[in-house]
Amino acid sequence: MSGYSELLAHTAEVMLRLRATTLADLLAEAGRALGRLELGEPVPPAAGEPRLIEVQSPDREALLVDWLNELVYLAETERWVPVEFEMVTANDTTARAWARGVVTDEAPARVKAATFHGLKVVAGPQGFEADVVLDV
Amino acid sequence: MTVTGASLVEARGPLVHEIPRTARPDMLVPARVYADSELWTQISGDRSLAQLMNVATLPGVTGCVYGMPDMHEGYGFPVGGVAAMKADDGVVSPGGVGYDINCGVRLLISDLDAEPVRERVPALVHELSRSIPSGTGRGGRLLLGGADVDRVLVEGCHYLLERGFATAEDLEVTEAGGRFTRADPGCVSARAKQRGRDQLGTIGSGNHFVEVQAVEQIFDAGVAAALGLRPGCLAVLVHTGSRGLGHQVCTDYVRLMDAAMQRYGIVLPDRELACAPFRSPEGQQYFGAMCAAANFAWANRQVIAHRVREAFERFFGASGRLRLVYDVAHNMAKLEAHQGELLVVHRKGATRAFGPAHPETPPRYRSVGQPVFIPGSMGTASYVLVGTDQALGLSFGSACHGAGRAMSRHAAKRTKPGHEVRRELEARGIAVSCPSNAELAEEAPFAYKDVERVVDVVHRVGLASRVARLRPLGVVKG
Repeated sequence: MSGYSELLAHTAEVMLRLRATTLADLLAEAGRALGRLELGEPVPPAAGEPRLIEVQSPDREALLVDWLNELVYLAETERWVPVEFEMVTANDTTARAWARGVVTDEAPARVKAATFHGLKVVAGPQGFEADVVLDV
Repeated sequence: MTVTGASLVEARGPLVHEIPRTARPDMLVPARVYADSELWTQISGDRSLAQLMNVATLPGVTGCVYGMPDMHEGYGFPVGGVAAMKADDGVVSPGGVGYDINCGVRLLISDLDAEPVRERVPALVHELSRSIPSGTGRGGRLLLGGADVDRVLVEGCHYLLERGFATAEDLEVTEAGGRFTRADPGCVSARAKQRGRDQLGTIGSGNHFVEVQAVEQIFDAGVAAALGLRPGCLAVLVHTGSRGLGHQVCTDYVRLMDAAMQRYGIVLPDRELACAPFRSPEGQQYFGAMCAAANFAWANRQVIAHRVREAFERFFGASGRLRLVYDVAHNMAKLEAHQGELLVVHRKGATRAFGPAHPETPPRYRSVGQPVFIPGSMGTASYVLVGTDQALGLSFGSACHGAGRAMSRHAAKRTKPGHEVRRELEARGIAVSCPSNAELAEEAPFAYKDVERVVDVVHRVGLASRVARLRPLGVVKG
C-alpha cells in the first residue's frame, strides 16, 4: 500500500484520514491529498523539474502539520502545487522529498492551513494512520 | 464526547443551555449556549459542545464561555464561540481567533432602489467578478512592495485613505477606525508578508463573497433610518478577511505557542488551543502580529469596497454612490474592559455587538448601538441588527456571525451538484458568479442552519436587536 486517504465528516472544515505502510508514504499521500483539494480532480499531470522540499519539526504529529503547511505556502506564493513526491527522508522530526508539481494561473486559495485539532499520527502493525483537519 | 456535552446540559430558559463547570474536572467556568430546540439539536450533533468545553479549560478564562446560536464545530475553538481571559493572568490563543484573522463583514448602501435596476444585476455581478479577484488574479488587487505591506500592517485603512481608496467617513464607521494601534509588523513573519503581498483586494475562497442585495423588510424604522437603510434600496455586503497573510500569522504562532506551553506549565485537551500568557513575550508578539493582520483585513475589505464603488459608478453614474454602513470583525481577540477588569475577549466566528452606551460604539451610532450583520447562506436573507447594552452581561457584548454551517462540505456536494445549485439560485432571480461548481455546491443554502431561526434567537435573547432583512439579488463567490 503506497497510501490511501479519505475525507471524514466535519461540519465546516476538511478532515483527512491517511493510511500508508510507512511514514514516508503517509507524508507523500498527505501531499497528494492536498494537491487534489487545491486543484480539484482530475489532477493535471506534474510538469517541470523536481524541487527539494524539507521540513523539520519537534515530533511526528507536528511534522505532518508542518509538511502540509509548507505545501500550502508553496502553492499560494509560487502558484506551484506539488503532486508527485519522492521521499528522501522521513522520520519523526524530518521530512525531505523531491517533488514535482502543477503550475497554476492563479494561486490556489482553498486550503488556509493544516491544524493541530484532533491530530493524530499512529504507527501500528499495518503501518501508519493519521487524522488531520485542514482549515478551508 | 458530543453526547457527553449535550447530556450534561442544564436548561436556563427556553433559549439558554448551560453545561456546568463541574461537568469536567478541567473546566474552569461553565459553558453557555444560546439556541432554540432545533438549533440545539443541530449544535449537539457535532463536536462543537466538546470544543466549547475545552475552551472552558484555558488558563485565566473568566465568567462563562459562550456558544452563539450559529455555533458549529471548528478546530480548537468552535465557530461561534466567545471566551474572555483575564489580561493580567490569562492567556491569548491564536486558535481562539482562527486562521482568518479579522474575517468580517461590511455593508454598503446605495441611494438607488433595487427594483428599477433589477434587470441589470446579472451584468453588475459579472462586472464585480471581473473587478474583484477571488484569488490572486490579475485585476483588482493592490500590489504592494515590502514597505507598503508594512504600512498596511501598521496603518490599516488609514494607509488607504492616503492612497485615495477610502474616505474619512468610511473610517468613522469601521470597527476600531480600521486600524489597531497595537499592530507590530516586526512580529509578522516574512512568509506571512509574502503570502499577503498580492492579495489586498481579493475575496479568497470558502464562504467568502460579495453579494448584491435589496433591503426587503424593516423591523425598526427609527434605527433603520439612523443606519441609513430604506425599504427597497440596493446594498452590497462584503465578507472576507486577512487572506494568506492572516493564515500564516496563525500558523506561525500556533507553532510558537505549542513549543512554549511546556515552559509555562500549560496542559490542554486540544493542541490547536495552543496559547501563552497574554503578558508573556509570546503572547505580546502574537497580539502585535494579530493586530497587524487585522489591519490588513480591514484594508482588504476597504480595497474591495473601492472596487465595488468603481463598478457601481461605471454602471449607474453619480447615482451609484455607495455609503458604508459599518465594517465589523468576527474573528478577533480584543482587549476590553468588562466590569472594571481588563479582558482578552476571543471571538471566533462571533461579532462584537456593543450597545448605545458603550464608548467604543461609533459616535454616529451612539443613539442606536453598533451595527451587527448576520449574513445568511448564499441564496437566503441576511440581517442587520444593532448591539444592545445588555449583551455585555450576556455574552461579553457578542452576537453571532452568520447562519452557521449545518452540513459538511462533502455532504453538501453529495446532496446536490453545483450546477443544480446554480440553476436553482438563478431560477429564484439570484445571479451567481463562482469559478467552481464544486465550491458552489459546498456553500448551498441547505448546508447552513436556518438564518431566520438564528436571528430570532439573537433578538429574543437580547444579544442584538433586529433592524432589517436583506434579500440577495446576486453573488460573487470566492
